[in-house]
Amino acid sequence: MDPVTIDTTKIRITKRKPETALEKLEDTGLINTLLAAKDREGFILLTTVDQAINWGRLSSLWPVTSGLACCAIEMMATSMAHHDIARFGMEVFRASPRQSDLMFVAGTVTKRMAPRVKQLYEMMAEPKWVISVGSCANTGGPYHESYCVLKGVDNIIPVDVYIPGCPPRPEAWLYGIIQLREKIKNEGYGAKWGLNK
Amino acid sequence: MNSAEELKYLLPNSVISVGVQTNKPLAVIRKEDLLTVAGKVKEMGFDSLSVITGVDRLDRIEVIYNLFSYKKKQNLALKVILDHKSPEVDSVTSIWKVADWLERETYDLVGVKFNGHPNLKRILLPEGWIGHPLMKDYDMSIEQFVTIGEDGEDIVSTDGSNLLRRR
Repeated sequence: MDPVTIDTTKIRITKRKPETALEKLEDTGLINTLLAAKDREGFILLTTVDQAINWGRLSSLWPVTSGLACCAIEMMATSMAHHDIARFGMEVFRASPRQSDLMFVAGTVTKRMAPRVKQLYEMMAEPKWVISVGSCANTGGPYHESYCVLKGVDNIIPVDVYIPGCPPRPEAWLYGIIQLREKIKNEGYGAKWGLNK
Repeated sequence: MNSAEELKYLLPNSVISVGVQTNKPLAVIRKEDLLTVAGKVKEMGFDSLSVITGVDRLDRIEVIYNLFSYKKKQNLALKVILDHKSPEVDSVTSIWKVADWLERETYDLVGVKFNGHPNLKRILLPEGWIGHPLMKDYDMSIEQFVTIGEDGEDIVSTDGSNLLRRR
């Protein structure tokens, strides 16, 4: 048999798999100013309060179970095993707005439904975020000229991320969710109350 | 002989004309004789009232009763032509029970008044809504908002300041 020659230029040094809890936390990239100092007794973890809190918030966003129209079908598809929003810690759709952080406005907001949507938003505890999904919730969409449809849900509640589409595919939902996570990552503590700015 | 022609043969004075609408037999009937015709039609086997449609034709209002017979597997449409200013016709709730909600819907969106209806009020829109939206002369310049009252009832107003976000 011929001896096997190995081209050493093609060998890449792969990153070591994180083993300790500290390395795993650094590997997420969520807490980027993480400092660790070896003390005599154990580790001291240094980070900023903002980043630690934001990391906790965006890692377990719990959406409220509410769907208004056909976009809610795509919401179900997103939450199922194939697209699997459990990767973001969001699989727990809460049946109560009191336990939720996030509201998907998934579908047509009619004039009669609008005060109910607003009431649902007001019942959620701070901090809370809203993703408006689909043409109808964004602008009124195909029902923009209608007598009974609200022209955009941002007329009644503040919206963080808009996802276009009619209805948007689950990939678009995942992209919107990732955008919201980026937004939360850059939030300062108390920014919503005007303390930081 | 289709079902509309059969109806014309049975009640020649009540049926004005016979035709075909979307591949279904259509009989245009006098609005005074609606209850007579409806009773006769039910005897002919048309036991199911599928839907009631109201159409605004600018000079008149048409109400179309789409019927189906589960025994004969046949369709039939009855049409009455009403005055545009005060559309009124007899209710067929005594013949088909399902007409209760269908007539309320037609009243809600087109504004046809059904005489003899047990509970003629709006079904889709909340009480107090201005106008009937599927009429051609519906005023789209008035934007109406709904809020929830103390007891959970809907309140219609043109002032959206309670609902809309201040920007």
